[in-house]
Amino acid sequence: MTGGVVIGGWEFIWAAYGLTTAAFLIYGVTLIAKLREAKRND
Amino acid sequence: MFEMPKVSTSKTPYVFLALGAALFLFGSYWGLFVAPPAADMREVQRIMYVHVPTAWNWMLAVLFSFGCAVAFLFNNDSKWDARLEGGLEVGTLFAFLLCCQGAIWAKPTWGVWWDWDPRLTSTAVLLFAFLGILALRNFVEDPVKRAIWSAVATIIAAVDLPIVYMSVKWWNSLHQEQSTPQTVASPFHLPLRTNAFAVLFLMIGFIMLRSRVAAYRLRRELAAPPVRIGEEAGELV
Repeated sequence: MTGGVVIGGWEFIWAAYGLTTAAFLIYGVTLIAKLREAKRND
Repeated sequence: MFEMPKVSTSKTPYVFLALGAALFLFGSYWGLFVAPPAADMREVQRIMYVHVPTAWNWMLAVLFSFGCAVAFLFNNDSKWDARLEGGLEVGTLFAFLLCCQGAIWAKPTWGVWWDWDPRLTSTAVLLFAFLGILALRNFVEDPVKRAIWSAVATIIAAVDLPIVYMSVKWWNSLHQEQSTPQTVASPFHLPLRTNAFAVLFLMIGFIMLRSRVAAYRLRRELAAPPVRIGEEAGELV
């Protein structure tokens, strides 16, 4: 930080967006797979 | 004893997921490449476009879980238990994401990954409370006991939600006050609102699908043949 202003920080931005997108994607895919399996076993 | 829950096969949750994904792509593109940087936090402020929508919708997921728990205790209907399981799991995922995004935001702005600040601490308490309730649901085999115990535990845990919301007003918090259209400059409104609706639609889709998984599990448990006396001890073998 310089003079109260944050300099740079794109690596943190990519980390936050990457983590969020990956979490939604992985959870969504896992959920659909779980539901298909549950349907098969019903 | 529960009635056998019915499981919907409508495509509505997939529509919510598709709409949420499309809005999330648009909102994130706008937030990353089109919206101007903030005056003091500069580029790092772009994390707000994923962090704040996650926070708003996490609170909605907790409220939804609380509503399902109350509805179950009043109606004793298994559909509310299945919905509660959906709300609990999605609420836990969002709370985990919220804490991670917050830590990523905190490092370049506060200089630390974590601080025992009232907002962060109360959020972490609710995350661990939901994790505990999910663990409880996995350990208890009797579906009626499981539903009652987890509904009561959810109501107790949800008491923390107003504390999370008000923590930045009640105490001298390192965390900034709530982000609303009144506290955020107008060029930031579009990506923030777009991602807020995107995460809302994703959350609805996730909860609907997860509730179906929970309903199928209940159906399996309720359809299982009753154990005959002596069978467990091997007398009939």
